[in-house]
Amino acid sequence: MRLAKERNGQFIIIAAMLLSIMIISISTVIYGTVTYYRQERWEEYVTIVDSVKTASSNLLQIGLANYTQTLNPNVTRGYFNRWIRDVRNAYPGYGVDVDYALTSGLRSAYGLIPPMNYSLGLARRWNQQTSYSASNTTVSINIASVGLTGYNFSSHVFLKMSIRDAVWYTGSGKWYVLMYLTVEKEGLEPIISLQTSSFSNVTLNGVPQTFTMRRYYHPTYSSFIYEIRVSSITSLPPNASAGVTLLDNRGIKTVSYTTNVQQQ
Amino acid sequence: MRVVESIMATLIVISAVTFLYFFASTPSSQAHDTSELEKMGHNILHDIDEQGLLARYVYRSEWGNLTSALSVSLPINVYFSLSVYDMNNNNLNYPYSIQYGDQQVFSSSTGVASVTYILPGYQANYNPRILVLKLVNG
Repeated sequence: MRLAKERNGQFIIIAAMLLSIMIISISTVIYGTVTYYRQERWEEYVTIVDSVKTASSNLLQIGLANYTQTLNPNVTRGYFNRWIRDVRNAYPGYGVDVDYALTSGLRSAYGLIPPMNYSLGLARRWNQQTSYSASNTTVSINIASVGLTGYNFSSHVFLKMSIRDAVWYTGSGKWYVLMYLTVEKEGLEPIISLQTSSFSNVTLNGVPQTFTMRRYYHPTYSSFIYEIRVSSITSLPPNASAGVTLLDNRGIKTVSYTTNVQQQ
Repeated sequence: MRVVESIMATLIVISAVTFLYFFASTPSSQAHDTSELEKMGHNILHDIDEQGLLARYVYRSEWGNLTSALSVSLPINVYFSLSVYDMNNNNLNYPYSIQYGDQQVFSSSTGVASVTYILPGYQANYNPRILVLKLVNG
């Protein structure tokens, strides 16, 4: 009996050794995984490429904002020409060279009909029930100091506003108009951070109106909706029209318009 | 009672853990730390830029907000100093000091990471700004 007990006691030691082997094995694998990329040398040009890439995309956004506010079609080209020179000055000694190709012609995207018609990297379709402003370009980065050439990427900026419905109704001797808007950006991602001041102009039959705005999720449209409410109007003729001008947080403008204001 | 076996088993496990502690210590060098800081600095500026805050802070001269954003984003033991320049190399945040940590730490540090980040403009206006972020381990 005593001998049997002593033999069983050895299992504790064997279990402890197995546990130790497991701890060491697993830890070695985890250590190798965690430290693998730490041994990779961080090249400064990666920072430069990423910085120039992000800034070029932002530049496109700035160009589109300026174009939609001034309607100057040469603005993006002008900005990129200055950008090429300024990037060289910002990273002296690296041999950074940026080139660009502004998109031209018809491009299908986001299911828009007709397709977007680009000229000098810019496209817009305003005063429609679904309106948009867009910009698209291909940028090329070369860094002579590290032998990097032909790093190309395409960038685009987009703003779309749709008047999903516009209705009028009367109550308490007053007339009211409700407009349900959806606003989306690149990738048809809904923009949900707009304020009342973002809607710079709301018109009925071409006459500017005061209005209130609220945002909520509307299950009927399966989307976030901006509800524009115009009140205290005296009357509304048949075939009334409504227009909304939007200036988003990036400074990009678009104008939607509908002739389909129906009684609720 | 298997006291002896238990003690031996405990010693085996403790030996394994002790071995790992020394084996798995992270390699450390001045160049390595500087490289890590550069990566960290660039990524944080990029993140703040992606949120649309960096351009707003810089072009509206909201230096206090910019300092707070960097302080919150960086580890507490990393000290920073940021300078904002225009294309003519004028320091636009002068005399405001966008920094966290004692100036003495920057002076005495043997390794300073430097990150250059460029902003093309804000809203509809092209007006480039160059941000130079310096980082040291506190």
